[in-house]
Amino acid sequence: MQQREEKLLEASVESLISRVAHLKNALHSFIYKLENEYERLTWPSVLDNFALLSGQLNTINKLLRNEKTPSFRQQVIIPLLLSPDRDEELAKLTEQRVPVFSHEIVPDHLRTKPDPEVEEQEKQLSAEAARIGPEVAQKQIQTLNKLCSNLLEKLNNPRDDRDAESAAIRQNKPSFNTADTNALVAAVGFGKGLSKCRPPGPVAPGHPGQGPMMSGGPTLQQVTIGGGSGQQQGMGPGAPQQQGQPGKMPSNIKTNIKAASSMHPYNR
Amino acid sequence: MEAPPVSVLPITGGTINMMEYLLQGSVLDQALESLLHRLRGLCDNMEPETFADHELVYLLKGQQGNPFLLRARRSLSHPTVPWHLRYLGQPEVGDKSRHALVRNCVDVATSHSLPDFLNEMGFRMDHEFVAKGHIFRRGVLKVVVSKLSRILVPGNTENTEPLSLSYLVELSVLVPAGQDTMSEDMRSFAEQLKPLVHLEKIDPKRHM
Repeated sequence: MQQREEKLLEASVESLISRVAHLKNALHSFIYKLENEYERLTWPSVLDNFALLSGQLNTINKLLRNEKTPSFRQQVIIPLLLSPDRDEELAKLTEQRVPVFSHEIVPDHLRTKPDPEVEEQEKQLSAEAARIGPEVAQKQIQTLNKLCSNLLEKLNNPRDDRDAESAAIRQNKPSFNTADTNALVAAVGFGKGLSKCRPPGPVAPGHPGQGPMMSGGPTLQQVTIGGGSGQQQGMGPGAPQQQGQPGKMPSNIKTNIKAASSMHPYNR
Repeated sequence: MEAPPVSVLPITGGTINMMEYLLQGSVLDQALESLLHRLRGLCDNMEPETFADHELVYLLKGQQGNPFLLRARRSLSHPTVPWHLRYLGQPEVGDKSRHALVRNCVDVATSHSLPDFLNEMGFRMDHEFVAKGHIFRRGVLKVVVSKLSRILVPGNTENTEPLSLSYLVELSVLVPAGQDTMSEDMRSFAEQLKPLVHLEKIDPKRHM
């Protein structure tokens, strides 16, 4: 009976050693890559390495959880002989990492409890957990679960959800203004907002200069051009400077022009 | 008063009646860069062309209702280039399903004495504005992105103020009368510019 157990223990220790050796090799190569080839390293290959490590840790866990594996907790390791002398066998076994089995290495290698700092932190955490009480703890657990599931849902769901959200965001920052469109089209179409006789606004300084010319103009324009409108009155003084003079000329020949306007040569 | 029908045009001129298909929209100043990027990608590969034009609109008022409108345009960036005179007819109210505004269009290049000539003919300048912007081409389609500015002192094109905080975007094609294949192409091009700009058929008379 005991022999079987011993054999089992030996076999499981052997497999554990081999698994851990694989893990060690993977870590070794990863660290080498990180230290020496970091310029050429791409994120996907780093992820691959992490995935490899995680897979190996998983197998170790599975091995330990296997029902055939005896519980290692019940085994005790007692150092029988500590000597400050270099032990060649040990050095070979451990690949030169542990050359001497002395009282310095024993606390590190044969440790069963976690480090003092880690122990301290664990004690604090468990004290905190005990302090908040079970209902609060339960609520916190539920909130965390809800957040995680929401996030997973958002990540897993198809793109139309995301499109609706991004469309909503885009609507908050419109890139065009319909009122502006209409104003511009009206301006190009028939000069809305561009005509000279505009209500005084930022153009006030320009207007007084035109004022005297405009007041002189209307009477002439009304005679010379039939059906003159408000816009029309502005045109004479509104035109470039040289036309200010011709604007006054029609006064001499006003009867002629009046006759001409009634039979416009281009009328059909 | 519409443009004379083809039959009475001088024989030496021999112009075909051209129709202009037009879609208009606008884009806010802050979105201009993204629109220009998109247009640079969508349109023909050419050096981005900017322009600065001064347009004067001349009216001839007959006794009957509608005044006759002519548009005279000159380049501010190339002062020696000939002036451009354009007549645009009333929008055709035909096919409601047609996606673009269609109107008769007559274009001629003229010498620099155009304003004086028009004044002698009896036209009077109704309004003027300055348009500055970019022009893109895609095949026969022309996209013009321009900032319209009001001229504060008549005749002085240096002293201008922008009309609005947006740029006017116009998609236009000139085709000979009779060909009606362009509106589909224009519509698909306009789709590609959404949602940055909504190019649509805007009837100017609605905003009178």
